[in-house]
Amino acid sequence: MRPVHADIDALKGFHEALVRFRYAAREAADRGEAEIEMTRASLAAKASRWQAQLEQDQAELDACRSRGGADCSAYALAVEQSRERLEHVRRWQQRVEVQAGEFGGVASVFRNLLESGVPRSESQLLASIAHLEAARRVQAGGS
Amino acid sequence: MNTRPDRDGEEQLRLLGAAWEGAAQHWRDEVARQFEADHWTPLAQQSRAYLEALGRMMDALESAERETEF
Repeated sequence: MRPVHADIDALKGFHEALVRFRYAAREAADRGEAEIEMTRASLAAKASRWQAQLEQDQAELDACRSRGGADCSAYALAVEQSRERLEHVRRWQQRVEVQAGEFGGVASVFRNLLESGVPRSESQLLASIAHLEAARRVQAGGS
Repeated sequence: MNTRPDRDGEEQLRLLGAAWEGAAQHWRDEVARQFEADHWTPLAQQSRAYLEALGRMMDALESAERETEF
């Protein structure tokens, strides 16, 4: 059997670090997805609020115009502002969806790595550690 | 403390990288070379790619919240 060229304790330390990383990375990935959902919900609430505000401003403008001869410029300005803000929020909703779509592909690969690739690496490492320990026992017995 | 998940992930990857350096320093046989090529290098590369993408995603979410506050 060949001599053992490894610090087995360091390999065990790396194995433990790998297990910790798998759990911590999964937690970070979960938090990332939760952040996306929270922002989606927040933007949807803002869009809904500005939609309601726009409808109210439009109703007030229509009421002003129905009176005839009144200066309705302030109402018209309010309608324009609400419309612009609603469109602004909707543009950000679209941007977030585009970014989330791009991110989703990379996230899926990483999830697969955490669910199957890293456990395979852990198993491989444990097998190597067991092999090295056996080799070291043989060396110690033969010396 | 509430920190961004991409930054937490970067710290975890840094710790893992340090543990690998410690192990690889004294593990220099053919099995070690195979482990590095088949396991460690892909793991480190994919993790970095993911964390960079997560960072861009978090930047976009922060901008979206900030830019839609009226």
